Amino acid sequence: MSASQSAVRSRAEAVQVSRTLDWMILFTLFTAVLGGYHIHYMLTGGDWDFWTDWKDRRLWVTVAPIVSITFPAAVQAMLWYRYRLPFGAVCCVIALMLGEWINRYLNFWGWTYFPVNFCFPSNLVPGAIVLDVVLMLSSSFVLTAVIGGMAYGLLFYPGNWPIIAPLHVPVEYNGMMFTLADLQGYHYVRTGTPEYIRMVEKGTLRTFGKDVAPVSAFFSAFVSIIIYFLWHYFGRWFNKTDFVSGEGI
Amino acid sequence: MAATTDSVKADASEAPLLNKTNLIAGFMLYLVFYSFIRWYEGVYGWSAGLDSFAPEFETYWMNMLYIELVLEVVIASTLWGYIWKTRDRNVMSITPREELRRHFTHWTWLVMYGWAIYWGASYFTEQDGTWHQTIVRDTDFTPSHIIEFYLSYPIYIITGVSAFLYAKTRLPAYQEGLSLMYMVSVIGPFMILPNVGLNEWGHTFWFMEELFVAPLHYGFVFFGWAALAIMGVVNIEVEALTKLLKKDLA
Repeated sequence: MSASQSAVRSRAEAVQVSRTLDWMILFTLFTAVLGGYHIHYMLTGGDWDFWTDWKDRRLWVTVAPIVSITFPAAVQAMLWYRYRLPFGAVCCVIALMLGEWINRYLNFWGWTYFPVNFCFPSNLVPGAIVLDVVLMLSSSFVLTAVIGGMAYGLLFYPGNWPIIAPLHVPVEYNGMMFTLADLQGYHYVRTGTPEYIRMVEKGTLRTFGKDVAPVSAFFSAFVSIIIYFLWHYFGRWFNKTDFVSGEGI
Repeated sequence: MAATTDSVKADASEAPLLNKTNLIAGFMLYLVFYSFIRWYEGVYGWSAGLDSFAPEFETYWMNMLYIELVLEVVIASTLWGYIWKTRDRNVMSITPREELRRHFTHWTWLVMYGWAIYWGASYFTEQDGTWHQTIVRDTDFTPSHIIEFYLSYPIYIITGVSAFLYAKTRLPAYQEGLSLMYMVSVIGPFMILPNVGLNEWGHTFWFMEELFVAPLHYGFVFFGWAALAIMGVVNIEVEALTKLLKKDLA
């Protein structure tokens, strides 16, 4: 092609072309990340996210931040380091939560009739905002991992507390005391019940009594730091523009 | 650049850079089709999908499986064959404007790929979880699987491979060889389909109704990560488009 030829007729057309492509790129990135992130999250932390009786003080608090900081770290490695766009983590989390809310409403409720106040997704937005803000202010993925990753783990429980607190009040039912969330699970039997809920609050961490949630949150926060580092480098790898030879394939 | 009489005439006669009709029609095709599928699940999942030994299960679900498998093979071979057969053998000599037009067509394919991934990996995959939490499975071919594994996954595979073939056969930016990330972004999600074999095999051994975080499902997780390779494809595209538009945007 000739270097003197132009792909557009005017500057105005060039601007219009650029804006149109921006939207097409963002839509594709949003939906592809939504799909990958959602399948990752539902199969590594999904059960804790599906049901209120799984949203306990121990494993929900531990697992959810660790497995959900992954895609935000990778997408930040693209959007910030290549394009200086400071919304990688929030973009991921909004995509995930959009996919989850559509599903919980149209399928969990709309197809199999679990009430939405039993199967709403966890809120991941506060931690994602902090991740993006720390990266934007520091421009350092190390600081984002250490400070942002720590905050991501620690903020998860407080970020969900206003939603889950009413379901953690104690009730007495047939002489037993448990939470309102447990009572929901008791009434909405799932195919694997009762074995299905065997992972909820098991173990001697209960010994810590009221401190279970903070202990779990700190442990989760430390692991989130490591996972952020790992996934930042995954993100860098996925950003490659390399070509390989077609010969021999 | 000033518009001349000739260039105005040329503008009037040439195809638009972005064919919005194709973009909207493609988007609506998936939306309307999957809305119909969701309606079908809602009605016939409960009325004919609970017992795989019942005659109505064969009528409403197994026949649907057979039909969709045949259609997918026919559509994939026709579409991929057409894109390959009509390839441009002088791709490096096209004009910049034609190249830009082809990038828009390529992005129409990629928008459809992202849209198809949403339906397959997000909508129908999590939906499968709630179905298994409600109905005890007595077959590999549950209504949710017939939709998720054997319909929505092949559809995104067909769409993704079509986008890859279009780029490889029509765009100068992809003539250096095979784009590593493009291959990962298409082959990775494709590998979820063979992983269904492992999944079904595993479910015949262990009763897991339905612990979604069971290690048996981690193959899906690993291949789901490949969706991130779309970032590499975006980077290649941005570099190519920057070369095409930079001096006009300056």
